[in-house]
Amino acid sequence: MQNPKSDGEPRRSRRTPLIAALAVTAAFAVAAGVAVTQNDGATGSPVGQVSAEPKTKAATVLTQPYTKPDLVLTDTSGKKYDLREETRGRPTLIYFGYTHCPDVCPLTMSNLAVAKKQLPKADQEKLQVVFVTTDPERDTPAELGKWLPSAGDPSFVGLSGDFPTIQAGARQIGIGIDAPKKEKDGTVVSMHGAQVVAFSPKTDQGYVIYGEDTTADEWAADLPKLINGEKP
Amino acid sequence: MTRRTPLAVVTALALGAGLASAGCSADSGPELKVSGAFMPQPVGDMAAGFLTVENDGDGADRLTSVTSTIADDVTIHETKNQKMQEVTSFDIPAGGELDLERGGNHIMFMTLKRRPKQGDTVSIELHFEKSDPIKVELPVRETTHNPQKH
Repeated sequence: MQNPKSDGEPRRSRRTPLIAALAVTAAFAVAAGVAVTQNDGATGSPVGQVSAEPKTKAATVLTQPYTKPDLVLTDTSGKKYDLREETRGRPTLIYFGYTHCPDVCPLTMSNLAVAKKQLPKADQEKLQVVFVTTDPERDTPAELGKWLPSAGDPSFVGLSGDFPTIQAGARQIGIGIDAPKKEKDGTVVSMHGAQVVAFSPKTDQGYVIYGEDTTADEWAADLPKLINGEKP
Repeated sequence: MTRRTPLAVVTALALGAGLASAGCSADSGPELKVSGAFMPQPVGDMAAGFLTVENDGDGADRLTSVTSTIADDVTIHETKNQKMQEVTSFDIPAGGELDLERGGNHIMFMTLKRRPKQGDTVSIELHFEKSDPIKVELPVRETTHNPQKH
């Protein structure tokens, strides 16, 4: 115990994890900083366009609606799908996500599916729910075709294509998404959009946004209005 | 020599105790309790698990890993800016709690061996830095289950 060498040993071994922890923390801080900057850059615009709505409401009505993005992608049957053409004059909800997403993406899709089933038949047929993948490499049309009916509803449209096209389309409606990133251990970090954007059948413009935590009940309350292009 | 041994042991113990209390300023250490556990019915071959770990003790702990009979690949993830990232541990502060909840931090199960349905239960074991492992039964709820919103 009096040996200075043995006294120094434990201290050094104790310090190592601390340094490692600090390094990890610093790495996280840098990563988080980058992510925030990128996200702000891509989704910054809606903030200025949002009108003052009570915070308890799921819906945020935009004072400056979005033009529907000119997106031509591939649907789950492998056919070309022109978003503007296919959804013209129809109430449409668009969400960007990926199937290797255990929580928020299936939650968003199933909340919408539950709410949709509560609508009168005619309204159910009018409503278009479009899921655009943010991870097209893994989410092929066939994969989306398998996932969407169980995550959401067989009527939901699943779109895949090349990532830059999808990213550009998302950006036009204020949704910032980064390309999936492969980690050293082989896992892929993908990203989903933060909002569902509702497009009016009257104007074909995206006029309401919903956060990812919108419940099935909140959707059920708002869908009848969205189907008529009214403000929720 | 023989008389010295007990002294060395005592010193070592004292040093050890000193280290432990320096790390978490605790006398009794963490006391963990798990509540609100569930798994939303999975829609593919992956699933998420959610629960709260309360720490009523006066020492911090960490959730370091999760194991389950339903999947060999079980990891813990944080969600930040719409991205999920695997983490090596989650803090469970003394007198605080770790919330794994929808839209945020979660347990992720990959390549499920079977597809559990609503009403089933899934067994998991939580492993901690300090506390003994805790076995938890996750009831499988509807895919939309989100207790934060009720």
